[in-house]
Amino acid sequence: MASTPVALSGAERQRRLELRELLNAKYVFIDRTWDAVFWITAIFIVAGAADITKLLFAGDWDFWTDWKDPQWWPVVTAFATIIIPSALQYIQWVAWRFPTGATYTCCCLFLATWIGRFFQWHVAESYPMNFVWPISTVPAGIILDWILMKTRSFILTSLIGGGAWAILVWAFNYIPLAPYLQPAQFMHHVLTVSDVQGIAYIRSQTPEYLRHIERGALRSFLGETQYVSLLFGGTLAAVGYWVGQFIGRYLAVWPIRRYIKTL
Amino acid sequence: MRRWLLSGILTLLVTCFSVAQAFAHGEAADEPFLKDLTVAFYNVHVSPTSITVGQPVTITGSLKILETWPYTLDPPVTAYITPVVPGPVFALVDREVNGQPAFGSITVERGGTYDFKMVMRGRNPGRWHVHPGIAIQGTGTLIGPGEWVTVSPSDTPFKLNVMLLNGTTVDLEHFGGGFVWWWSFAGFIVGLVWMIYWTVPKRTVTRLAVTSQLGANDDAPDIGLITREDHKWMNVLAAITILMLVGGWAWMAAKYPVRLPQQTDRFAPTLDTSSYHLAEVRPVGSPNNATFDEKTNTLTISLDVKNTGTQPIMLKQYSMAMATFVNGSQQELAEAGPHDFVGSLQVEPPDPIPAGQTRRVVLKMASPIFDEERLIPLHDPQQLIAGLLAVRDNVGREERVTVKSVLVPTEFQAQYLP
Ligand SMILES: [Cu+2]
Repeated sequence: MASTPVALSGAERQRRLELRELLNAKYVFIDRTWDAVFWITAIFIVAGAADITKLLFAGDWDFWTDWKDPQWWPVVTAFATIIIPSALQYIQWVAWRFPTGATYTCCCLFLATWIGRFFQWHVAESYPMNFVWPISTVPAGIILDWILMKTRSFILTSLIGGGAWAILVWAFNYIPLAPYLQPAQFMHHVLTVSDVQGIAYIRSQTPEYLRHIERGALRSFLGETQYVSLLFGGTLAAVGYWVGQFIGRYLAVWPIRRYIKTL
Repeated sequence: MRRWLLSGILTLLVTCFSVAQAFAHGEAADEPFLKDLTVAFYNVHVSPTSITVGQPVTITGSLKILETWPYTLDPPVTAYITPVVPGPVFALVDREVNGQPAFGSITVERGGTYDFKMVMRGRNPGRWHVHPGIAIQGTGTLIGPGEWVTVSPSDTPFKLNVMLLNGTTVDLEHFGGGFVWWWSFAGFIVGLVWMIYWTVPKRTVTRLAVTSQLGANDDAPDIGLITREDHKWMNVLAAITILMLVGGWAWMAAKYPVRLPQQTDRFAPTLDTSSYHLAEVRPVGSPNNATFDEKTNTLTISLDVKNTGTQPIMLKQYSMAMATFVNGSQQELAEAGPHDFVGSLQVEPPDPIPAGQTRRVVLKMASPIFDEERLIPLHDPQQLIAGLLAVRDNVGREERVTVKSVLVPTEFQAQYLP
């Protein structure tokens, strides 16, 4: 599906040949140093931005297994986690034509959340890791980047990628969640294992009623709440994608361009 | 000058390191009305107070959602009775409210009394302050009196075994954790390969020089920005991702065929309706039904108590927020609740009130807890306190009556009041 520009004029063909030479020009030392500095320092900034955005919009939904419910979890996490990958996708695609922004963000977030969960929640607060594990968005990031590479269009990526994002984030993390959805006996009730974790590992300031379990009339969709939620999550993810595009275009790239023009 | 500096630094250091062990959970920061007018705890017991890891500790007690619940808070509807402890140092294994099993939240009402029982098992060794508490939607967690519990280490590691409906028993301390990590990590590896493919062989500086002269939807295979080779390898990685998902899903569906949505059940615990009525209580004094002396930490409440029963009655306790004051022997004080939250109550005149009579009484309580837990409104928009007065008759029947009093600190009186 790689694009082949058709019917180029002679001048245009010449210009593109020059660009080809420019691309392969050798500035190896400055290139490599700059690349290493950039890719490594950006890990912290990108991970921080992605984590803060996730905390802001998805908060407790990504902290506890008993909050990973069929109705709200697929919606809020899809929206919250696509924003910064979208911004980085814009930056890295426009600047270097790298289909890597989403994967890069998701890999950074992966490292940051696992380190955070392990040290802050497991070591310092002694919650078992199997109760406070973070979701992973890396596979969804890969597919989002792949879609951008194939379509070369942010609009198409938001439409196709938004839906794909909601499904992939949910599906990839639902697989390790499944054992915690098995029915168990506890306190004279049938509960899921995740409910038991939420009750047994005491959260004095996060009472049970703060969860949103199956509110409203979504159950009338033949009981298939999950799929209605995914559809809604996909739509919201497309919206979130444009929130990210706004951040990428006007909060990140536009000021830099303006600054460069003043030089 | 240097000597002053040195002694200053030393003083600072000494203050930092000699602060007495803090045992509050931040409740002292809450406004007095939030504690006094909302809920009163009484008969709270935490036992045993010394266990080894894995052994049970039981919290029992009662709380009443007072009729005086202030309009400045959302009305109490949904609540969650919980142990208040520093994180999951205990594991909660059983909870009952008014004798009914209550795994989750409950619905409550103004004037309702809730007897609770919670069983926890020691998880982390240490000395922990254990309170009961009630989280109420829109208000936050209100806490009851606390007791120190020592958890000593055990030779056997802590396990939290839960029986699944398919008959197997799993230990929640570790169940499924390894798979979560390795599964997520495998996905991360694919992402890492994707990143290495682009960032290691390809350079950003010359690409920027080229892309700045092209449109954003031009991936320029002829120039070499994104080549056929790139597409091929990215297709492979995307395919691996999808295959991993499909394979993982099939495995999951086969291994865990029964998956339930998270469960919820909110019920209104059955309330006990008393078959008898022992006393009517009316605050007296105009406008100050109660005074508080900050210098001696003494609270004085004036009341008219009418005995509406058939036996003489005694005023036995006054409970306010997490504190209880007892009119009785040392033994009775010790039995009333955690030591740090129990004080003595002086009733004047002290003799029983005969059936049918009304008597003007003064309750007097002196305790540092008023100050430590910030129970008394001193300069607040609601200069009010509320508590439960326990009366007991000759045959051992007991009733707790809610008393609301206008409170004026004694320091005001010299200036404003007779
Ligand atoms: Cu405490």
